[in-house]
This record gives sequence, C-alpha cells and structure tokens, in this order.
Amino acid sequence: MSSEENTIMAGVFKGRKVVGGKARGEALVSKEPICFLGGIDVKTGRVTEVGHPLEGKNIAGKVLVFPTGKGSTGGSYLIFESVENGVGPCAMVNRAVEQVTAIGCIIAEIPMMDRVVPDPIELIKDGDLLEVDADAGTITTIVKK
Amino acid sequence: MILTEQEQRMLDGKEGYPVQKAMQILVQLGEIYDAKRMIPVSRVHMPGSSVVVAGEAGTKLVEKMAANGGYFKVTTTLNTGAVDFGQWKELGYPEETYKQQLRLTRAYEKLGGIACHTCTPYFIGQVPRLGEHIAWGESSAIAFINSVLGARTNREGGPSALAAALTGLVPEYGYHLQENRYGQIHVKVEVPLTEAVDYGSLGYWVGKKAASKVPVFTGIPGDVTMDQLKFLSAALASSGSVALYHVVGVTPEAATLETAFGGRKPEEVLTFDKSALAESEASLNKHQGQKVSIVVIGCPHASIEEIGAIAKELDGKHVGPGVELWVTAAQPIKAFAERCGFEQTIVKAGGKIVIDTCPILSPMAYVASKKGMQALVTNSAKLAHYAPGQWAMPTYYGSLQRCLKAAVEGVF
Repeated sequence: MSSEENTIMAGVFKGRKVVGGKARGEALVSKEPICFLGGIDVKTGRVTEVGHPLEGKNIAGKVLVFPTGKGSTGGSYLIFESVENGVGPCAMVNRAVEQVTAIGCIIAEIPMMDRVVPDPIELIKDGDLLEVDADAGTITTIVKK
Repeated sequence: MILTEQEQRMLDGKEGYPVQKAMQILVQLGEIYDAKRMIPVSRVHMPGSSVVVAGEAGTKLVEKMAANGGYFKVTTTLNTGAVDFGQWKELGYPEETYKQQLRLTRAYEKLGGIACHTCTPYFIGQVPRLGEHIAWGESSAIAFINSVLGARTNREGGPSALAAALTGLVPEYGYHLQENRYGQIHVKVEVPLTEAVDYGSLGYWVGKKAASKVPVFTGIPGDVTMDQLKFLSAALASSGSVALYHVVGVTPEAATLETAFGGRKPEEVLTFDKSALAESEASLNKHQGQKVSIVVIGCPHASIEEIGAIAKELDGKHVGPGVELWVTAAQPIKAFAERCGFEQTIVKAGGKIVIDTCPILSPMAYVASKKGMQALVTNSAKLAHYAPGQWAMPTYYGSLQRCLKAAVEGVF
C-alpha cells in the first residue's frame, strides 16, 4: 500500500453504498459474473472457475470489480470465510449487487458499492490502485507521483 | 424502512442477541433494496448447511446463535450437507469433515432446524403454496419454488436465511413484490426436448444470457415433468443467477404469454434451436477422453421416479470395474426406494444411494484425489458446471441412459 503523500487522485467514480466502510487496494476486474462456490478457492483466494476471465488470478486484498454475483447461495458464507481466512477482497464493486453477494459483504464487513458511474467495469483496469469510500459513495483511482 | 413496534423491540435487543443480530442483517438488507417494511415468512430452506460452504466462520456464527438461545420461528429445513452421515467412511470422506458437519448440523438442530440435508425439499414435503412468502436458499430450489410452485422468495444466502428463520421475517422487496415477477426475456424453444438432460442444456444456455433476469419460455410441452423442471431450474441458477422463470401453459404465473410479461414487451427475444442445444451440451463436456471413474445421478437430489428409472435400466447389469455409481437423494426418498426395491437393484448392480450430501457441497476434491478419480460422468448441467472448477474434474455430460451405459461399460 502506498503512503498518502506519494499519490494523487486521478479520477472519481460515484455510486451507491451497499455496505459502508473504506478500503484501498488494487483493482481486479471481471466482465463476467462471479460465483463464490466452486469459482474461488477460499483457502488461497485463487479463481478456479474453468473458462472464467479471472481463472488463475487471485482476489486476496483486491478491490473486486464485477457486474454481479451468480450461482450458489452458498456464496455469502464463502465470502465471509475468504475474508476470515485473510484471502478475501478488501472491497467489492458491482454494476447491480445481487443478494447473495450483498449478504456476504454485510457479514464479512467489507465495503461494497454498486450503481457506479461512469461504468467501472469499462474504465478500471486490473492493477489500478483504488480507494473505495462506500460511506461517501466514491471510488477514487490513485496514481503514484 | 418502517418497523413495527415489535420489530423495533427485536432490533433493540429485547428478544435477545440472536434476534437482534438477525434484525440488523435484515434491516441492512432492506435498506440496500429500498424495502418499505418487513413481511412474515412461513418457511425457510437453509443454505449454508454444508460445512464446505459455512466454513469455520459460518459454523461459529450458527453455534453462537444456538448458544445464545436462538430458536427458529418457522419450519426450517436444512440444505445438503458435506457428508453422508451413514456411509462417509466408505465413500472416502475425511473424518474431520464428518466431525465438522456434525457440529454444524447439531447447532442448526439446536435452533430447531430439520436436518433433512437435501436440495430438493419439495420432494419431501417442504412445499409452499402459490403466493406464499418464504425465505429459500439453494439456488436450484429457489428457481424451482418461485417458478414451478409460484411461492415467493429472493435468493437468500446463508446469513439472511438464518436471520429470516430466527425472526420469521424478511424485508419486502424483489420477488416478494408482484411488479418484479413479470417476464423480461422471451425464450422460444424451437427444438424438441426429448431427454431430461436437454432441459439442463436449455437452462445452462439461457442462464448465461439472462444473468438475473426473468426468462419466459414458450415451446415447452405441457407434459413436462417435475424432474425436467428441476434440471431446468438448477441449470438456470448455475450459469446465471436466475431465481424465477415462467413456462407458458405450465407454471402458475404464466397462463398466457401476456400474463407472464404483465402486458409488457420482452426486453429481448432468444431462440433456442438445434445448434444452441448442441453448443450448450458441448460447453458442458470438459474432458480429453479420460477414463470414467465416477458416475453421479441426482443433482439436484433424485426423485423417486428417477431412482425407479435407474433401477429399471440397471436391472441385471453391473457397473464396470473401477467405476463408482452414486445416486444422490434425500433420506426419505432413499427409504422409499428401498420399500420399492429400487435400492436393492441399484446396490446389486454395484451402485450406491448417497444421502445428506452431494459432490458439489462435499470435499469431493479430497475424495477424487484419494481414489485417483480421472473423470466424472453426469446428466446434471449444474454438476457438470461446478465439477471442473471445484474439484478439477474432467466431466462428461449426457442423458441418463448414456450415463448409466458409461457406468456399465466404463467408457462414455
């Protein structure tokens, strides 16, 4: 994590708070929905769904940006378990949050936002440093000086 | 959200810690989805009933609720668990998982949960009526009861279903409201669906495109069976997050196309034809010709009709050397199968009826590697979807007859 003094704000996205809180981390962006059962190994944070655009990548400590959740309703506890195991994302951003993901973020107590403009899935790239302030309803891209 | 005096008391902790924590979750959820109020639910089906899903974190949460005097206010059935309590050892499950599952099941039982451990509660008497407000987990069961039975639930994750069971309440939003139950996508089925597996292929193809929208199917025959609709429901909720669909002339909220869409125009029209069926089937066949090690039928858990069909097909035959055949089902259905003589036929043929669990919700990666399994065969689009990612298992996908033939011959 880079220190505040060495960074500048590059762009601000505005959206809706789903779960409050603040987090800073690198973005991991998926254009496809994510399922947390079978799609992600909650012991390592690695994405395991065969053929998924994020297959082989790791969600640990990332701001996970994806359209919405899909599949198993077991997802809520698996989000919780991944965070408890220290390999969960530090925040999540969706186009439109689906209930299983929302509940997972509530219980894991990680910031979550949706209905963000402009569309972060189109504009944010993997590795972009982001500051998510769900309470303020903002996502800021941070650039190192 | 506007809470009643009693709901406010619950939120204030006047009914103890479990109810207070549950109300906090429900209020937060209600605020996310702009719910105006809480509504009572009559039943709950509990996801997160397997330790593979709940994990240590979830198990501790359930135990904490039980230890603090929590008790379910409505009939609550438990979804599939992580082991078959009776034959976990011979199936190859680790003792540690058995012990952890026992801990979680006992905690749910202490809360008043019914430990049926099945994903098809609608086959064993947990059957809500048309318009009944309920809180359901298990993606396949949600799509089934919303669509086929016309009961009303959102996609409940473990903690929200737990909260609903502890309070008998859910925030009123989503599929509880009539305005959100109308169709959005029209799917014209223009290929004959001859096998149950075809309904899985249809659901898998549509789920990918529909995401969380409400598809309306035309071209599905009126004599479609419960099992076929089960496969359709499970597949729609695997490639997508479909929680509700309509089949014109079949499901209760779709007497006509106009009723299903509530007089609105479809946002999109899709055609499911011969090439889409082939494309969907091909996308579920993820293998490079590996040897068949295990054949699984019963995802979602098998009905008595399916088990009868399996017994008929296997009568006088035997599964091939080095091949396992698992028929996964709810415990009462197994008892029924024994009464009918189906189980004896399956066992004589070298197969097993497995209860309480399924490959998706159990530590199957462990079992597969311990037994050196090379490939899975199934007629379930849901299992064929999950197995390659979850337990790195190459998968063959085809009709029940083809799967059973593969079990006997050892080649798909």
